[in-house]
Amino acid sequence: MIQLDAVSKLFANAETGQVVQALQDIDLVVEENEFVCLLGPSGCGKSTLLNLVAGFERPTSGRVLFGGEPVRAAGPERGVVFQEPTLFPWLTVEQNIEFGLRNLGVGRLERKEISLRFVSLVGLADFARARPHQLSGGMKQRVQLARVLALDPRALLMDEPFGSLDAQTRDRLQDQLLDIWENHRKTVLFVTHNVEEAVYLADRVAVLAPAPDGITADMPITIPRPRDRYATEMREATMALIAVLADLPCCVLPSRSLGESPVREPSTTMPG
Amino acid sequence: MSTSPGSAGPAPDAFPQPRAPAPVGTHQPPALRLARRLLPWPGILTAIAALAIPLALWWGLAAIVMHLRPVAFPTPYDTYLRLSGLLRGQLLNDFTIYRHVADSIQRWALGFALAVGIGVSSGLLLGWSRLLERLSMPTVTVLQLVPGLAWIPVAILLFGVNPRATIFMVGVTALAPIVINTTAGVKGVDEMYLRAARMMGAEDSTLFARVLLPGSLPHLLSGLRVGFANGWRVLVAGEMIVGTGTGLGYSIIQSRWTLDYAAAFVCIAIICIIGLTVERGILLPLERRTVERWGLARSA
Repeated sequence: MIQLDAVSKLFANAETGQVVQALQDIDLVVEENEFVCLLGPSGCGKSTLLNLVAGFERPTSGRVLFGGEPVRAAGPERGVVFQEPTLFPWLTVEQNIEFGLRNLGVGRLERKEISLRFVSLVGLADFARARPHQLSGGMKQRVQLARVLALDPRALLMDEPFGSLDAQTRDRLQDQLLDIWENHRKTVLFVTHNVEEAVYLADRVAVLAPAPDGITADMPITIPRPRDRYATEMREATMALIAVLADLPCCVLPSRSLGESPVREPSTTMPG
Repeated sequence: MSTSPGSAGPAPDAFPQPRAPAPVGTHQPPALRLARRLLPWPGILTAIAALAIPLALWWGLAAIVMHLRPVAFPTPYDTYLRLSGLLRGQLLNDFTIYRHVADSIQRWALGFALAVGIGVSSGLLLGWSRLLERLSMPTVTVLQLVPGLAWIPVAILLFGVNPRATIFMVGVTALAPIVINTTAGVKGVDEMYLRAARMMGAEDSTLFARVLLPGSLPHLLSGLRVGFANGWRVLVAGEMIVGTGTGLGYSIIQSRWTLDYAAAFVCIAIICIIGLTVERGILLPLERRTVERWGLARSA
């Protein structure tokens, strides 16, 4: 479903002219309906990789394929859940969910019905008319999930979506995500730096090291679902991944500033 | 994101607000404490005082001028009498005061509507395209630096001595702040919103109408506020020069010949009241409500 062939990405800093290698020769395949976690230290290029799959950025070299077709631009078949809530503050929860449906040409009544269904799915039916700033961080992330699910994407691309939430909220949202994934069957590429999270969620964990190393481990998690966060085999898998991570070189400084927060590149991201 | 007037911090209030209770530990003079107890609504009293002070100054000035020079400088009372006469339908330069006010507002509204239409759409484009911004922003900046009255010869050359010249002047002076603020607003829209919109299948036109426009609205509204004030000021000046028989500015300048200075003062007062009402009563609350409703603690 998602396929990266020898993908490299260079960023040029507009002010200093310095060129930074964010990704080098990455190969990665995510099968249909598979839940893959991309694990790695901060600044190793995880978000960059996700942005390439999403279509926000173009690879400097190599190919990014989605369903066999090269990715040219962002689109609703790849629903992105961002780390920071990017709900439109001028729209209500309901209108935020309807935004994409409207772009797809869904009629008014049907939009209403779909948005209600998905706002209920994430347990926020009572907040359909609230504005984003009235919601907590966890609620905002649930709305983000609802607004992409409403578009019935073939894949979910999630960029540390629970990274800034407290542990309890995070656990609950992880369970909710797994529920939805099992009921709706989507391909998921989930970026995280949290080892426990990766082990709990994933069918397979790919460990991304800072360039030039690339994907250094690709570990299937075969523990049957539903998983128990505190079971011994979970601990073992976690320890194994921590050992892999411990061998990675620590991040070099320049790429740290690039990996997690995408650099503004007006030429590629601003259309027109 | 650039800081444009009125968009970043809370703007000053139209009327002084009641003071918050002094923080614990702050020393308060006993006289002040006594005054607080005797005056239960310091806010209202200060508001009344704020209105009374300019009136008192006006009255004093009128008395002094009339003492020194043999002219009938209208006092607030004279002005009030003339106002009530005009409101009852007395004619001023062959027309009722209502006609003058209506014509002025109409000229302003046409000019302002033109400025909003052109200003907002070009601001959206300039905020969008670096190239367009680099090409056009110098012109807009120069436009902003031209004093309103300097447009009079241009307006007359373009339209003749004709209300359209006034409309042009209103539009051209309101335009620059609207363009500048809209541009800043669009540039301030977080790139993540654009990515999210694209991901949800938004075309360029959707991006403009449903992301960039609402996203820049707080800035845009403060641009409208400045543009309104510019246009309203130059309207009066424009009517003085190129107005044709009606309008508040025309009435003020006619008092030179008719010596009806009280009526001129009435017109000045009406201009102030309309200006204050639109600015403080409509535009500023609209801007604040927008920022509040969206919970926009906009970061740089």
